[in-house]
Amino acid sequence: TGTLHSLDPLPMQGPELGIQADDIEAPEVEQEPKQEVLENKNVVVQRVHIDGLGRTKEDLLTYEIAEVFRANNLIDVMRKSHEARQKLLRLGIFRKVEVNIDTSRGEDALPNGLDVTFEVTELRRMTGSYNTMVGNNEGSMVLGLRLPNVFGRAEKLTFQFSYGTKETSYGLSFFKPQPGHFERKLKKEKFLFINTTYSKTGSCSFPMWKTNQTLKWEGVWRELGCLGQNASFAIRNESGHSLKSSLSHAMVVDTRNSSILPRKGGLLKIHQELAGYTGGDARFLKEDFEIQLNKTLYWDSVLSASLWGGLLLPFGDAPTCIADRFYLGGPTSIRGFSMYSMGPQSDGDYLGGEAYWAGGLHLYTPLPFRPGRGGFGDLFRTHFFLNAGNLCNLHYGEGPQAHLKKLAECIRWSYGLGIVLRLGNIARLELNYCIPMGVQSGDRICDGIQFGAGIRFL
Amino acid sequence: MSLAAEAFVSQLAAAEPWPENATLYQPLKEDQILLSDHASSLAVQAYLRMCGLPVQVLCRVNSEFMSPSGKIPFIHVGNQVVSELGPIVQFTKAKGHSLSDGLDDVQRAEMKAYMELVNNMLLTAELYIQWCDDATAAEISRPRYSSPYSWPLSKILAYQKQWEVRRKMNAIGWGGKTLQQVYEDVSQCCQALSQRLGMQPYFFNKQPTELDALVFGHLFTILTTRLTSSELAERVKSYSNLLSFCRRIEQTYFEDKSS
Repeated sequence: TGTLHSLDPLPMQGPELGIQADDIEAPEVEQEPKQEVLENKNVVVQRVHIDGLGRTKEDLLTYEIAEVFRANNLIDVMRKSHEARQKLLRLGIFRKVEVNIDTSRGEDALPNGLDVTFEVTELRRMTGSYNTMVGNNEGSMVLGLRLPNVFGRAEKLTFQFSYGTKETSYGLSFFKPQPGHFERKLKKEKFLFINTTYSKTGSCSFPMWKTNQTLKWEGVWRELGCLGQNASFAIRNESGHSLKSSLSHAMVVDTRNSSILPRKGGLLKIHQELAGYTGGDARFLKEDFEIQLNKTLYWDSVLSASLWGGLLLPFGDAPTCIADRFYLGGPTSIRGFSMYSMGPQSDGDYLGGEAYWAGGLHLYTPLPFRPGRGGFGDLFRTHFFLNAGNLCNLHYGEGPQAHLKKLAECIRWSYGLGIVLRLGNIARLELNYCIPMGVQSGDRICDGIQFGAGIRFL
Repeated sequence: MSLAAEAFVSQLAAAEPWPENATLYQPLKEDQILLSDHASSLAVQAYLRMCGLPVQVLCRVNSEFMSPSGKIPFIHVGNQVVSELGPIVQFTKAKGHSLSDGLDDVQRAEMKAYMELVNNMLLTAELYIQWCDDATAAEISRPRYSSPYSWPLSKILAYQKQWEVRRKMNAIGWGGKTLQQVYEDVSQCCQALSQRLGMQPYFFNKQPTELDALVFGHLFTILTTRLTSSELAERVKSYSNLLSFCRRIEQTYFEDKSS
């Protein structure tokens, strides 16, 4: 099949070695000979120790426990110790943290002095993990090796090896608590042509008002090559090396109650990427957006509408690279068409497009006759869908009117019905019967039964 | 090329005549192309001109990676892509154009032997001088090879290529040679060619063959390329019949362009 790598990066985190927050242990307090209202008793926290440190450096932790010193009555001490304990656990380097509050002892002990001791158990130096993952129409098995707290300051070093139906990749990632998440990923994807990449990314994410903003810098070395003599010349023309250094910004507003099969709420995602101004060969501005709205109707059915779109604007004379363009089609976007098999093509190899839009309208209902209700049956839904979209290249000399006209003509669309299975909170499987329409010459369709698995569906 | 591959290419090639829009791809002439690639490309261009087949030369930054075998040059004819002189000669033969039809078996074997000599000696010497001689590699080869790319990709690719060529040199036993020994080898090769050529206009008397194209490509490039030292060119210049051979071919087939 003439497909290319997926648009969306696979989520590269497996399940964290979950450290569940327990309730705080009851602090040991010497009983006063007569009953006093403990809240009003003034106390001074004289010492805060951390016992059980092996390779962790103390200076990392002083910040987390500093607040405890400021407590001035017993309830406050308990509360601040509890918060400090949460902060220590959140660093991800301790398996267990227990708090001990005791009266001060020793020569300089005050009558109302308290000692707070955090007894910690560090995580093992190295842990392994094994997960399976579902991406867009692909599945993979991930083996991971994790070194939490490599140098004593909560640095995390992870090595992951992922072997899947479409992609084999190795990843090395280094994380420091302060902003800085560096990843070196080597992906080898075997399609019609090999696309090998080394990438380095640094990103930081923060909430702002109701939105979540992410800023990212990415450096990617891409090597494209032909697999055989039979690749079309248009693909052969794209072979070679290129370096992309880009800054990107994404804004997400997500009011849905769930990311898979939501019943209400909406999603707005706007993403832009500017490449070329921080080095590299690729120079472009890429914009894409995703909108989804959901509403529950009568009888437990949900109406969902979604719209995707994107634009790639190259700078300078160089044409856009095949690895940067958009692709459309497949069980996760326009159903009824083969994966990424729409739009400009040459000899059966799909070259992608510089502008696209795609829309979907779904009606989700419970399974007819509601088998397995209240249990397994709730994971399934039937859905009726209508998908439409278009993908093309733009000639930026013409005006926006010409571009809109081009995107509006030769629209591909499809409709059908199927069954959706929800996998946890991450992925879904679909089995649909599709009827593609508006098929243009060169598109590859998959009419009739189509199966899809993934995390992001139109 | 394996026999099966040859047969396959011949079958496909024979179907259509040589089109008007055939193109030949090589790296950028001014800034990127290196001695060995230029020699190979010029050899193919000379051969096609000798056959009277029109071809347009296109310069592409990524031509090395576009080529199906990874070597320069390659031609795009119809919807087929063929690289390197040997397969290209086979390809044109399948379309009915050949320069060596008039040779008998003995001469053909001799021609093949001399072509092997040029490939094993001259081409290898060019690669050695480009990549194994530190001065040339640092001043000329690495900067030129990496010129289309931005940092740090440029550095990575240049060193990768150098490492690859040096490994190949070690594998064929040239790793231990000194520059002087390589120049000696070049001299010996030129002497053999000079002796075979004698006073004839072409290696097989009246008509040029692919051997003439190959020798011209390499010698002319050596004579006209500026390297860190001019010793290589001097060694070739000491054989006057080779000089006049190059001039003759340039005037006969390339007089409309200056290489």
